[in-house]
Amino acid sequence: MSNLRAVFATTALVACGTAALAEDITINVWAGGSNDADSYRWEAIELAADLLEREYAILGEELNITVEAKRDFGGWDEFKQAVTLAAEAGTAPAIVVTSHLDIAPWSQAGYIVPVEDYLDLDAWPLNDIYPNLLEIASYDGIQWGLPQDAESRPFFFWKDAMKGIGYSDADIDALPAKVAAGEYTLQDVLADAQKAVDMGLVEEGYGFYPRVSNGPDYAQFYQSFGGQLQDPETGKLVLDKAAMEEMYQFFVDAVEAGVTRKNHIGTDWSQWYSEVANGKAALWHGGTWHYARYTGKEGNDDFFGTIQFSLIPAGNDKGRANTITQPLVYLLTDQQDDMVEDVAAQLVKIASEPRLNSLHAIKSAHLGISRQQSNVELYSGDRWADEATERLLGTANAQPNHLQYGVFAETMWKGLEAAWTGVQTPAEAVAAVEAELTAKLGDELIVR
Amino acid sequence: MRNVNWLGLAFLSPALVMVTLFFLLPVVLTGFFAFTNMSTATGVTGGEYLLNSASLRRLQNEGLPQEVLAKLEAGGYRVDAAGLAALAEATTPATAQELEQLHGAAEFSDRRDMERALKDLLDNRIRRTRDRKEAAELFKRSILNERFATEAAFRAALSETGTRTAYAEQITTAAYTGWVWTTKNVELLFALPSTLRYAANTTLYVTLTLAFNVGFGLFLAITTFYLPKGQGAAFRAIWFLPRILPPVLYVLMWRWFTWDTGFLATVTGYFGISPKNWMLDTSYHAWTVVVLINGFVGASMGMIIFSSAIRAIPTSMLHASEVDGASRWQQVRWIILPQLAWPILFITCYQTLSLLTSFEYILLATDGGPGRATEVWSLAAYHTALNNYGGNLEYGLGAAFALVLVVIGIAASLIYFRLFNFKRLITKPLIEG
Repeated sequence: MSNLRAVFATTALVACGTAALAEDITINVWAGGSNDADSYRWEAIELAADLLEREYAILGEELNITVEAKRDFGGWDEFKQAVTLAAEAGTAPAIVVTSHLDIAPWSQAGYIVPVEDYLDLDAWPLNDIYPNLLEIASYDGIQWGLPQDAESRPFFFWKDAMKGIGYSDADIDALPAKVAAGEYTLQDVLADAQKAVDMGLVEEGYGFYPRVSNGPDYAQFYQSFGGQLQDPETGKLVLDKAAMEEMYQFFVDAVEAGVTRKNHIGTDWSQWYSEVANGKAALWHGGTWHYARYTGKEGNDDFFGTIQFSLIPAGNDKGRANTITQPLVYLLTDQQDDMVEDVAAQLVKIASEPRLNSLHAIKSAHLGISRQQSNVELYSGDRWADEATERLLGTANAQPNHLQYGVFAETMWKGLEAAWTGVQTPAEAVAAVEAELTAKLGDELIVR
Repeated sequence: MRNVNWLGLAFLSPALVMVTLFFLLPVVLTGFFAFTNMSTATGVTGGEYLLNSASLRRLQNEGLPQEVLAKLEAGGYRVDAAGLAALAEATTPATAQELEQLHGAAEFSDRRDMERALKDLLDNRIRRTRDRKEAAELFKRSILNERFATEAAFRAALSETGTRTAYAEQITTAAYTGWVWTTKNVELLFALPSTLRYAANTTLYVTLTLAFNVGFGLFLAITTFYLPKGQGAAFRAIWFLPRILPPVLYVLMWRWFTWDTGFLATVTGYFGISPKNWMLDTSYHAWTVVVLINGFVGASMGMIIFSSAIRAIPTSMLHASEVDGASRWQQVRWIILPQLAWPILFITCYQTLSLLTSFEYILLATDGGPGRATEVWSLAAYHTALNNYGGNLEYGLGAAFALVLVVIGIAASLIYFRLFNFKRLITKPLIEG
């Protein structure tokens, strides 16, 4: 009997000993809003896991990291619900790839932990990340996440349509600079779109062909008319009534002129992509990642020969040409086991190294997050990444990380929808937006 | 007798459990959530205590004196004796000594500067990032941006900052990150101009769809009744399709039918009408489509119920009326309709309640558009509670929306019972009595 006991004891000891030596860790990565081209959002974590395991091995520790990735969610809503419910249940994935707008509510709820608790922001590669992008991944002075990619939302021109209404090649080449200088405005957009429709170059409703659903893109048009999203002094959200009304009016004018469809909102995305990528629309706006879609699935083989891109033009004297960047961020969720948080933090750090991030940037046609990426040949050799970074990213700003920004954005969009579809006049829509926001945000809103 | 009762209860118990879990509990929870400020940011399971710039802003709005705010904001990181002693214990006394020589009595406003100061250590370098971060925490003297799991811990830390106890209550309340009880949701429902519109939309939706459901269901039941048996069954089977099709597929077909490149636009195009979106062109179009989509689904159900009720009418009555020379219309008016009172009541009650809370077809078809024209109350509840671009879902406000539906549902049931003289309908039949 005592022998048996000894055997048990030895087995137990050996088991404990091995457990201490070899650490098995499973890191779950959930990526929202991702398709095939975005696979490096989690594959970079897998590559990083391999590197980290090797580093541990050199130090004589055995670390086995299993990365389990999940990307198939119905949409952003389902993804966000899945993450928050999992966090409530204590089973949140260690790493989440999501919009930076989630930082405010999720940090307040205690779902996420700051990366700065684990990582030295003064050390490479984090000290090489563009400061404005790092800023976007922070909230309340705390670095909650790391930017996973950068993007920007440009205005597009179909070159043949522009030539058809009288632009020369030189004029088209000069467009981005004219837009940036505020010499080509949204009024010119309407005029050119009108010409394109009148001359039969594009069908009615296809002169100016905007995004089909709510998104940061529409905040850009608010900024074009001088609107400000957040007051830098107090951190409160701002409703600039005049800017909002002029922005609504712009879309109403576009509908009345017949250059934009009245029922454009809700158009199927696949239809939209295929139309803009192949010259069915004269002017439109989109995102830098559209490059991959246009040249890939939609089969546009000559992007630079057919499409010109610029900032979103200014709307009036008060506004400016602008673009919004909405980087996705790597966030770490609160875990039972501190070791998981630590390993997850190391992984997102490694995944942010220039070479690894460039894999994602080029494959998905996003922009890089750090300066050194221009020294990675894959990145610098890519014409789109190179030109878009230079033309757009420098002036890009982001939507504010604010607890109530979601309400603000939804209400602004509902107002635009009402004006666009003719249910309300722009003035009525703005009044409704003001009433709604004042009631819901209270002291957190400044009305101008 | 007693045994029989117990047995009955035992047989009922699975149903009771289901009713409690899936019907009663959601209602109770809705009532409960409706009086909280629950959102993504507050979480569901409870909160902690955290002072950050958002809570300070709230305190400022509430009129907390500037000097108290300043005190809460101040602090940061300080290389003081207490911190050095703690550092000596955590690492080595030599480390603490070196730091004191380098940065003794220094103050840093943020954590990165404190970490940089620790990096200045040369002889006693702290190499691992994690260790350095832990060391930095030993010098933290501000309670800003620190989460406290319990109220007691927060209050203790608050008193260490030297804040007067008179303000402690107010500050603690503002620092709580979890949900609290509030009646603000209900007040908001009355204050928001949009809710009036949703209410009007809902009334319109329920009235029109209900009328269509019952009317068209009756029409189908009666007309198929007079068809030869096989043909009637075939027609009923066809009209039953909308109900058995998956909603997504059913609505997709409607979209193909009405979209500006769809069937309707193509056919009307032959007559020179410029193509337009027949679903979303104006709010009238949207309403027509919404009522039809829901109406066909509801009508098929009414048709089945009414058909079987008509079949239950003794055929001898119909034959006798024919002998008396009654026309088809007279048969319908004087024989069939009077005997359908009970099924009509049932369908009306059932459909009102289900229409009040059903929004899936609208969500899939118009999503409340154009410009919120078809946004009904239950859809607004869904959008508020489960759909937010910025990720901060307002569970509390959404539940308040839903609670109104619960109240209206109960009230409507009571009114219907009274209106159709429910009591008389459920009395024992006189013949069998």
